[in-house]
Amino acid sequence: MDPLKAAPGKVVVLIFVRTDCPISNRYAPTILRLSTLHAEKAAFWLVYPDKAESPEAIRKHERDFGYQLPALRDVHRSLVKESRAQITPEAAVFDANRRLVYHGRIDNLYEDFGRARTAATTHELDDAIVAAINGKPLPVDNVPAVGCYISDLE
Amino acid sequence: MTRNSQGIVVSLICSALICVTAAADYAKAVRHAGAPSSNGPGSDASQQVTFTRDIAPIIFRSCAPCHRPGEAAPFSLLSYTDAKTHARQIAAVTERRIMPPWLPAPDDPIFADDLRLSSEQIALIQAWAEQGAPQGDPSAIPPKPQFVEGWQLGKPDVIVKATQPFALPPGGSDTYWNFVFRSPVAQTRWLKAIEIRPGDKRLVHHANVLVDRGQTARLLEKQAGSGFGGMELTIESEVFDPDSHFLFWKPGSAPYVEPDGMAIRLDKDNDLVLNTHLQPSGKSETLQPTLGLYFTDKPATLHPILLQMENDHLLDIPPGDKDFLVSDDFTLPVDVDLLAIYPHAHYLGKDLQALATFPDGTTRSLIHIARWDLNWQAVYRYVEPMLLPKGTTISMRFTYDNSAENIRNPNHPPQRVVAGNRASDEMAHLWLQVLPKDSAQTGVDPRAFIQEAMARHNLQKNPNDFEAHYNLAALLQIRGESAESAAHFAEAVRLRPDDATANNALGATLLAVGRTAESIPYLSAALRVRPDYFDAHYNLGNALASQGDFTGALLHFRAAVRLNPEDANAEANLGSAFAETGNVKEARIHYERALKLNPNNELARENLQQLEQGKSDNHQN
Repeated sequence: MDPLKAAPGKVVVLIFVRTDCPISNRYAPTILRLSTLHAEKAAFWLVYPDKAESPEAIRKHERDFGYQLPALRDVHRSLVKESRAQITPEAAVFDANRRLVYHGRIDNLYEDFGRARTAATTHELDDAIVAAINGKPLPVDNVPAVGCYISDLE
Repeated sequence: MTRNSQGIVVSLICSALICVTAAADYAKAVRHAGAPSSNGPGSDASQQVTFTRDIAPIIFRSCAPCHRPGEAAPFSLLSYTDAKTHARQIAAVTERRIMPPWLPAPDDPIFADDLRLSSEQIALIQAWAEQGAPQGDPSAIPPKPQFVEGWQLGKPDVIVKATQPFALPPGGSDTYWNFVFRSPVAQTRWLKAIEIRPGDKRLVHHANVLVDRGQTARLLEKQAGSGFGGMELTIESEVFDPDSHFLFWKPGSAPYVEPDGMAIRLDKDNDLVLNTHLQPSGKSETLQPTLGLYFTDKPATLHPILLQMENDHLLDIPPGDKDFLVSDDFTLPVDVDLLAIYPHAHYLGKDLQALATFPDGTTRSLIHIARWDLNWQAVYRYVEPMLLPKGTTISMRFTYDNSAENIRNPNHPPQRVVAGNRASDEMAHLWLQVLPKDSAQTGVDPRAFIQEAMARHNLQKNPNDFEAHYNLAALLQIRGESAESAAHFAEAVRLRPDDATANNALGATLLAVGRTAESIPYLSAALRVRPDYFDAHYNLGNALASQGDFTGALLHFRAAVRLNPEDANAEANLGSAFAETGNVKEARIHYERALKLNPNNELARENLQQLEQGKSDNHQN
């Protein structure tokens, strides 16, 4: 299943996650909130780039964290490449023409490993989705995410 | 003729020595600073670095204690695959010394359980990650580290479990929750250790146990056992038996076993309060902590004390201030050994330092945390106790960053922040666990000198410090300085007219020096605030009796006996009040009860003898 071929006319949002990445997990409520908020105009997918994570482990992870989003394994890293993703959690936003308009952090909750704000004060992913839905230019540059390196995986 | 006075009772409870009874420690095995750096020949980072030869020994020793199933860290580091799939991350966090978490400066005194990696070790990890995290000879991997499963100190003597679990929401900011455990002992026992098992360790940043001798924290529970929210606990503790132990849990910590002679007293009516700092995980979680209690037959013979330095009333940080300084300086009145130190601030804390200036003018850093991080706060125990002679000045120097650049600033935009117990308030607290050296000074417990000096010091900082007035008064009263004592209790009552304890103490002190008529309004005030206050009933009974109002006295002694049926003095005084009002039969019953409770109660014995004497005299006549 190629998420970039599905949901024509909609914006596509890929969120790269990992079952054992704590920062990625801590974002579950934010990911759920954004996917609900933009459900009509943006198709959200969770992408698991770790080939060591079995479909069963992924299903359990989705249950544990209350995700109600379609999930994909990306064992060949084709989505990682197309999204230029490096980290979990990291978001990639493709506009209706499937052009990559944003990839990077979800928001600025984490400044660094172990250095989190009490609440995020900038919301790059949300801003990028809104801009993509409205066909407007991106309000922010890509901002690198804080989390676990995808390149560490096999 | 009966005597009706059995002295006064001043509750030695105060709310001064607050907060921490307790906090912490980690591993029982003492590891020294610096960590072994030698990895043998071939450890040169310019050569190929392999996991099995170079990296596994570092990771197994310094990371695996937390990075393994069931522990606090989010993933395991027990195999090559574990390490390989986090190699860049490991390199990044070790290079910046984010991991292993360790806040004190490299040149600080040596603390137990120093987790720092050496520069050589960090360089090896960098080289290994850059080279693609090679495995090396699989057969050369060192044996997997062995850990004790379950209770770290073996089966506890008693295990207590939180009555109700706490439900932690999936998201939001950090949460602070307190669990109250009822004392499981039927009589006083001595604890050598408490093992804290907070539940899912991945959710818990740190946890503290406080011994709540006055059962005050439970009043904050909506229903018994429900627990209550709150970052900082204020718990009353006794002036003359101050709780003086840190009972602290943080990730990777093993329970601390108190040395012989430094056991912690646990009475049957004490509560244990577990204060936890929790971080949401992304999903709904529940937490139901347990405590394992380990007893010892050896009661406490060494009495450390917790010195609390602070300057909360100067903590008034303007928005935008990046370098707000709060200081406090205290000069020791006696020689002490410094055993452990616990600096504490909230999210604006920036640079936390404690210094000693010795009588000869030389100085030494006691601890210096240049990048404060509340999430990794800890109690630091000195590997070697540090002698701080009488006349040494301890200085607290804390700075705060209330600018928008401090990412942990809870306010956006920054707001004025003052002292308080909420996470969005600030604190400037430094606790030092010290063991006063035996002094030849008059045979008085040296802790009393320290507490008196601390109370006077606190009054200099803040003349309206209720606790300082109260504590100083209580100490002076013990020393027999009744006039000065009464003056400070009076100040305490002036500051908190509705404080039952202070009113009772002032009344009792006035009563003790014969100012009976003056004492009665304060004792009555104490009972208006707290009608079931044993001490105040007892003292007011005595005051009324000494004014000849035996009917009034009888009411209050009766209330005292009802509140504490095991108090021999209250029974004896009730007996005397009955005797004075002519009820010999009831008087005898209560004298006998007093003697049953305490066969050595002289008042009851003598008065009972007089009753018997009178009876036989009557028979003879």
